[in-house]
Amino acid sequence: MIQDLLIHLVFMGYAIAFMLGLATLFTWVERKQSAIMADRIGANRCYIRIPFTDIKLVAWGLFHGIADGAKMLLKENFTPTTYDRFCYNLAPWLAAVPVLLVFAVIPFGGTLVPGNLLDIVPFPHLAQPLKDFFGARSYQMQVARLDAGILVVLAISGVGIIGTILAGWSSNNKFSLLGAARAASQMISYEISMGLALISLVVTYGTLDLNEMVRYQSGILYGALPTWGIFMQPLAFLLFLTAAIAENKRVPFDLPECESELVAGYFTEYSAMKMGLFMLSEFIEIVVVSALLVTLFLGGYNLPWLTDAGFAFPNGATWAMPQPAVVLLQVLTFTVKVVLAGCFQIQIRWSLPRFRYDQLMRFGWKFLLPLAALNLVATVFVRWMNL
Amino acid sequence: MGGVMLLFFSLLAVLFTVLVITLRQPMRAALSLVGLMVSLAAIYACLGAHVVAIFQVLIYVGAVMVFMVYTIMLLDDRDTSYRQVFSRLALPAAAVASLVAAALWLLLGSLPSVPVPAEGGGVSFTFSAFSVAFMRHYWFHFELATVLLLVGIIAAWAAIKEGSNG
Repeated sequence: MIQDLLIHLVFMGYAIAFMLGLATLFTWVERKQSAIMADRIGANRCYIRIPFTDIKLVAWGLFHGIADGAKMLLKENFTPTTYDRFCYNLAPWLAAVPVLLVFAVIPFGGTLVPGNLLDIVPFPHLAQPLKDFFGARSYQMQVARLDAGILVVLAISGVGIIGTILAGWSSNNKFSLLGAARAASQMISYEISMGLALISLVVTYGTLDLNEMVRYQSGILYGALPTWGIFMQPLAFLLFLTAAIAENKRVPFDLPECESELVAGYFTEYSAMKMGLFMLSEFIEIVVVSALLVTLFLGGYNLPWLTDAGFAFPNGATWAMPQPAVVLLQVLTFTVKVVLAGCFQIQIRWSLPRFRYDQLMRFGWKFLLPLAALNLVATVFVRWMNL
Repeated sequence: MGGVMLLFFSLLAVLFTVLVITLRQPMRAALSLVGLMVSLAAIYACLGAHVVAIFQVLIYVGAVMVFMVYTIMLLDDRDTSYRQVFSRLALPAAAVASLVAAALWLLLGSLPSVPVPAEGGGVSFTFSAFSVAFMRHYWFHFELATVLLLVGIIAAWAAIKEGSNG
């Protein structure tokens, strides 16, 4: 019992640190990529002076994220005259918390056997107490293991829309209200295409469990390719990626907060850490969407041909690895894949121009949705005919 | 532990139900309804029916309530009728509510005792078990409920149309 509690507390701590850490990193990536695209040096003004010296530690501008956080925490918390202060204060939390919760069902590693963790260290007197404490217990590396994990993703991500609506409505500002109306319409519209793309994937994998989906992707296709979702369902990958960026309200779908028309859209009237929560939720959502992309389409925490026991190559050769090494490799693989997927999403921001609002709606309802429906019909047909 | 959580979320559900009825501001009443739905989902999860809990959030919070909140956002905020604390029907409503509560109390007392499930709900009700039970036993009830809902929607639409025609 105490062992289970301890392990789950560690998983929760890791998940929160993972999301907040990568979200901070992505703010730096966004600045750096914008500088590269605009042919500037960029993100190099923040530094830490080493005490008693004149040496400034710039570290490629990595401290900008910390400076952002400090600035938002220390700024004046300006509150406008609003007819509902309770809803105004509640909105940033309703926008940020669901994004954090979605990560609970995403597996970030394979099976962990804590009793074996120190087996590769050449000090048996250290390994034995751990073995005695945990015994042969094993844990799936995710915060909450639910057999319908993909539905949890859809269910919880839908709650975030309420926070956006509430922010725009309670701000008592026409820009905020217009931004909220745009955001809610856009999020509802693209959620349908996203759901259909995910159902195609469920039909392909035959399960709703995210762990089982990752395991399915450890297989081999046409003798060499891993059975990753991107190879099994390439159209669903494109649909999911597009809908997820639209859900996150990022360029080219950032109409709800486009500065040239609406100042900052639904969070125009927010300042200090309340605005910080909206910004943070956007960057955490990049992490979560990247983690979902990796889990559903890019093999999850596994490298090609990697299983919980080690590597199993297409030619029949195997390379057994000790369990702690496999766990470490899986966690590292997942992190690297999430970082690459996040950088790709940020790159899209600096590559594409913004849609007009009518174009955005037309694209969602008249192009993306029929395509997602067709993909689902084709997937069901293929599955039915056992092609 | 499971029992304590169940009690906590049950009390929370009752509290939110009272708030839904008593709060006059439409957005706050809607938010209380969201709180009620989430509390109910937590109760289902405590009882081991994770699938039902997920559907509770997915359908009621993620879909139904989002549309309700969206509609309230677009309401005319200059209409301050909701600021009237009590309506003329408050006293009859309280009397009817008391009668319903008393009837429920009496009914619960006369029901045969039902075996209480083990704490934490025992074996969790998985998605496949839910699907099999739904498609074998409950599909007709579900379809019937959707037809009734449709009738309700048409009735509401007709009533509004009648009202707008004067």
